[in-house]
Amino acid sequence: MGNLLMNEWIKIFRKLSTTIMIVLLLLGIVTMGAFYKYQETTSTTQVNENWKQELQTQISSDQEGLTTAGENNANMKTYYERQIALNEYRIENDIAPNNEQHIWTFVGDSQMMISLAGLFSIIIAAGIVSSEFSSGTIKLLLIRPISRVKILLSKYITVLLFGILMLAIIYLFSSLVGLVLFGLPSTDVSHLAYSNGEVIERSISFNLVIQYLLSSIDILMIATMAFMISSAFRNSSFAIGISLFLLFMGGTATILLASWFDWTKYILFANTDLTAYFDGVPIVEGMTLSFSIVMLLIYFLIFHLLAFGIFAKRDVAA
Amino acid sequence: MSAVLTLEHVKKTIKGNPIINDLSFSVQAGEIFGLLGPNGAGKTTTIRMIVGLIGLTDGDIIVSGKSVKKNFEEAVKNIGAIVENPEMYKHLTGYQNLKQYARMHKGISKEKIDEVIELVGLTERIDEKVRTYSLGMRQRLGLAQCLLHDPKLLILDEPTNGLDPAGIREFRDHLRMLTETKGMSVIVSSHLLSEMEMMCDRIAIIQQGTLTDIQYVRDFVDNDQMVYLIETGPLDNVKNWLQQDWNATFVDSGFTVSVNKEEVPLLLNRLIDSKVSVYSAKEIVKTLEQRFLEVTTHTNGGL
Repeated sequence: MGNLLMNEWIKIFRKLSTTIMIVLLLLGIVTMGAFYKYQETTSTTQVNENWKQELQTQISSDQEGLTTAGENNANMKTYYERQIALNEYRIENDIAPNNEQHIWTFVGDSQMMISLAGLFSIIIAAGIVSSEFSSGTIKLLLIRPISRVKILLSKYITVLLFGILMLAIIYLFSSLVGLVLFGLPSTDVSHLAYSNGEVIERSISFNLVIQYLLSSIDILMIATMAFMISSAFRNSSFAIGISLFLLFMGGTATILLASWFDWTKYILFANTDLTAYFDGVPIVEGMTLSFSIVMLLIYFLIFHLLAFGIFAKRDVAA
Repeated sequence: MSAVLTLEHVKKTIKGNPIINDLSFSVQAGEIFGLLGPNGAGKTTTIRMIVGLIGLTDGDIIVSGKSVKKNFEEAVKNIGAIVENPEMYKHLTGYQNLKQYARMHKGISKEKIDEVIELVGLTERIDEKVRTYSLGMRQRLGLAQCLLHDPKLLILDEPTNGLDPAGIREFRDHLRMLTETKGMSVIVSSHLLSEMEMMCDRIAIIQQGTLTDIQYVRDFVDNDQMVYLIETGPLDNVKNWLQQDWNATFVDSGFTVSVNKEEVPLLLNRLIDSKVSVYSAKEIVKTLEQRFLEVTTHTNGGL
């Protein structure tokens, strides 16, 4: 398996297009950094002296929301409860909401680049099987004493590794750019998380890693789908087209549908944003974290059953 | 001699159309075996079934005692193949391409790779991208790729496509050398007869998915007998004994027969005694090509 992964890795990284992808990603982060730096120098942020009072007003308005909206929507109830608990914690422990730009806020902002990384991972996922067919090299690949399942698995793992590499590049490079442009935070900052009715302080860099991984779930699913289409139909443009359309439109379309139909919760894209369960509101009432995880697993399994089932059986005649 | 490859009643049906009908043959160790047939006869399908690219509808293929159907990895380990054009990763160098395939077999050393490169004569250009290679060089790289793991059976589908005469000759010498020094068996497919005649020990003619004939090429070369075309009138009365005693093949204007020169008057006398009009008798040089055309046109006519 190690050798197979190495083969796939070499094939990807000897391509010019892969180098271009990485350069674009790095350029994107630098441009973003420059833009934020420019904004920071032109606008002056003042320290708000009355932040405690403002939070207090926010809390009472949230409490109002809790009694009205929270009554008939369990998810909204959790949301308000969380907001109130977090703000109360801030007042009690004297943690002012911080507007300062520093390395970690920049790493957080760089999550925007994840869609670019997703785009690249999808291109790789869509091409990794179908390009062997279009170049004819599949014939030399499948006549080795290695089962087709192993070959396809090595390709899928390569896609995953490529995605992880892209994420790591964004995280590490934006840390570097953030450190150079904005420096470390002036006071100790940590992420306030709310779980089981309690507020806990978490390391901000660790929390960002979790956030990066959570916001990559939709990309993981779409890349898996692109991989499935690519192995089943052997056509990379078809796979890329459908996948990118879904990557950019799927979420929006699901939100639109969610306001009318309850069954929207079974759609893949209603379940890909797991951060909703930690910091926001799920799009259909009554959805829970475990429901979404089960849905994601079901989709994941279906994609792989199709990909492996078709790839292992089908005749290579072209 | 032991069989390296055996096809047992192999059938392939694609969307209800029979592509290969009950094909059975075997290839012996050290033999160069030709698969000959017009385009679309099922040569490539047969080859793809042997290497496992296409599944079998019925029957089985045994390579070195292992079934391709049931024990794919063990069976295909003994095969090196080029299926149609040797397509390589164009953005990698020749050497990187070979490394790709070397990693997929067990125990191929760096020395072995260098030895194979030397053998096919690519040493000088091996570190250049395959994109810059000529067709002949790609063929040689393709050959190198299937020799890496010292297979017992080499399968080459239309290997001389696009090679110039010098390249074909060189390729032929390579094959001879491989079978003689390493005891490899080779299957070559082609629709070019002259080439097959020079290359192969034995040739199978495939037509419309059926094996129509298997011939030893040596038989033609070693044969003292000549082939005569006898132009005659109607043969209805004599067909029986012509077939039984002389093994004649009937054509439109008469028949052909393979006999020693001294026997010709004997045959003609007997024909004249039987009141058959004999117009001419001429010696023809019978090549495999004629045999091939005979076999194939006969089957076509029967349709």
